[in-house]
Amino acid sequence: MKKFSAKEIIKPTVSLFLTAAVVTLLLAVTNSVTAPKIEELQIKTINETKSKVLPGADSFSDELTVSYNGAEYSYYEGYKNSQTAGYIFTTVSKGYGGDITVMVGVDASGSVEGIDFITISETAGLGMKADTDDFKSRYKGKSGVINVVKNSPGENDIQALTGATITSNAVTQAVNTALELYGEVSR
Amino acid sequence: MKFLAILLTGILTNNYILAKFLGICPFLGVSKKLNTAAGMSAAVIFVMVLATAVTYPINVLLVKNDMAYLQTIVFILIIAALVQLVEIILKKYLVSLYNALGIYLPLITTNCAVLGVVLLNIDEGYNFVQSIVSSLGAGLGFMVAMVMFAGVRERLEGCNIPKSLEGLPITLISASLVSMSFLGFTGLVEGMFG
Amino acid sequence: MAEKKSIVKEFTKGIVKENPVLRLVLGTCPTLAVTTSMESAIGMGLAASAVLVCSNIVISAMRKIIPQKVRIPAYIVIIAGFVSIVQMLVKAFLPQIDEMLGVYLPLIVVNCIILGRAEAYAGKNPVLLSAVDGLGMGIGFTCALLLMSGIRELLGAGTLYGFQVLPETIPPMTIFILAPGGFFVFGILIALANALAERSGKSKAQLKGCSACPMAATCSLTGSENACKEEEK
Repeated sequence: MKKFSAKEIIKPTVSLFLTAAVVTLLLAVTNSVTAPKIEELQIKTINETKSKVLPGADSFSDELTVSYNGAEYSYYEGYKNSQTAGYIFTTVSKGYGGDITVMVGVDASGSVEGIDFITISETAGLGMKADTDDFKSRYKGKSGVINVVKNSPGENDIQALTGATITSNAVTQAVNTALELYGEVSR
Repeated sequence: MKFLAILLTGILTNNYILAKFLGICPFLGVSKKLNTAAGMSAAVIFVMVLATAVTYPINVLLVKNDMAYLQTIVFILIIAALVQLVEIILKKYLVSLYNALGIYLPLITTNCAVLGVVLLNIDEGYNFVQSIVSSLGAGLGFMVAMVMFAGVRERLEGCNIPKSLEGLPITLISASLVSMSFLGFTGLVEGMFG
Repeated sequence: MAEKKSIVKEFTKGIVKENPVLRLVLGTCPTLAVTTSMESAIGMGLAASAVLVCSNIVISAMRKIIPQKVRIPAYIVIIAGFVSIVQMLVKAFLPQIDEMLGVYLPLIVVNCIILGRAEAYAGKNPVLLSAVDGLGMGIGFTCALLLMSGIRELLGAGTLYGFQVLPETIPPMTIFILAPGGFFVFGILIALANALAERSGKSKAQLKGCSACPMAATCSLTGSENACKEEEK
């Protein structure tokens, strides 16, 4: 009787353990194949985004850091014919659906050259419309402190996306942080 | 302040059921009566907080050893084992609590809200205390939605419903209206703490 | 001949007669969450189908080795394994899909369709039939997601698969791609499916409480104090 119950316990345990071991092994194999690919992809995306937000530059510095208001930010310097053509800042702000990470290109005179999103997960059809060229191009040429308005935008205003004020504010806040960082770096 | 913001976000603006669609099965299945809805939610809150407390240090270990790709499989097993363990312990030592919550526990293993909250806490990069608060908020949000919806469904009971909408369709349409009312909280937390 | 016929039948039942979403009401979470655009719906549909077919094959092949007592944990391990593999592959080769599905990609683990099929079918039937069953259910799931996302995207954003369909002058009813629209469209679709089923003399789709729940076997609710049964009444 006793022997029987021991077998009752051991057999399921062993088979469950073996299943888990095999699955884990398979996962490790898949990971070893996909991990370098994922990393490569991330680097490629970042490089592509860099040239997109600062098209005036033909080469970039390695990652640099600047501390501002007690936080560390990483940034890149962009060069054109070995002259500083501008800076690229990566800033984060809180949107409606989580963190929005924005890469902002600022030219040497301190106005926005272009922006693009690294991560954005806003509501499809509303906040997600921020990730369109139409909206992103609204930031081009702006400098100093940018405000969000509902309609008739002035010199340094951004017209908010319809129904997505939180997203518009969040993106603008991220860009403003980048512009403040520019002031810190270019000094 | 930050904790309160996380808590309120989970309960109101990013309600797990009504905005993130996690845990729909129990929401539709166990919400017909107020007491079952409340019992189920209490069990969910309990398991969510416990699962977060257990998975957080394990995730730190996984990340440290470059094994973050095992997250999904490790977490689901932890949750499944935890649920069993809690059930056994409650049955043996806390009979009154077991009588209240016990019957809902097995249903929770495959409740996507529990795995969801664990994974989302990691995505958000919360620290240990923030993760616990966020799980608590998620669980309380689950409870608010369940209890409110149970109230709505009890009202629905005696109503004259078009024949083709009877049963599940009208339940879903009521859920749609409840969820619409929660849209009103949009921006509230950002407005208070932003 | 008879064998062939049953394979065809196993395949088609998942698409229409036993459509997992519209008839069995399983997998409701992803159905509501990822149907804001057709693109993410197709991503979710294919990812879940891949996991479903693979897990059905493996579980069916191992059905005689896995001891009865630990079959549910074993199923969960196998399913979670395939989900993680799919997740890594999607991250490496289709990063835009990964971004769109977010946390719902790993959550395929707890999609009740998959564990449900493992418990109800793959654990009892031979490999080929289980594969076909998984494929049919997967296609049924994908079709239901596409139908729902098509409606929501068209009404809520005026586009289909990202292409502008309604003229820009008609403002889209954004509410359809927000949470309430999801519940609403799903409710209407179930009502339609019910009406169609009733016309051909089939029963209505309804939450079957415990019978649809893959955990039913291990669940203490199946005792005399059965809350699910109470719910059914």
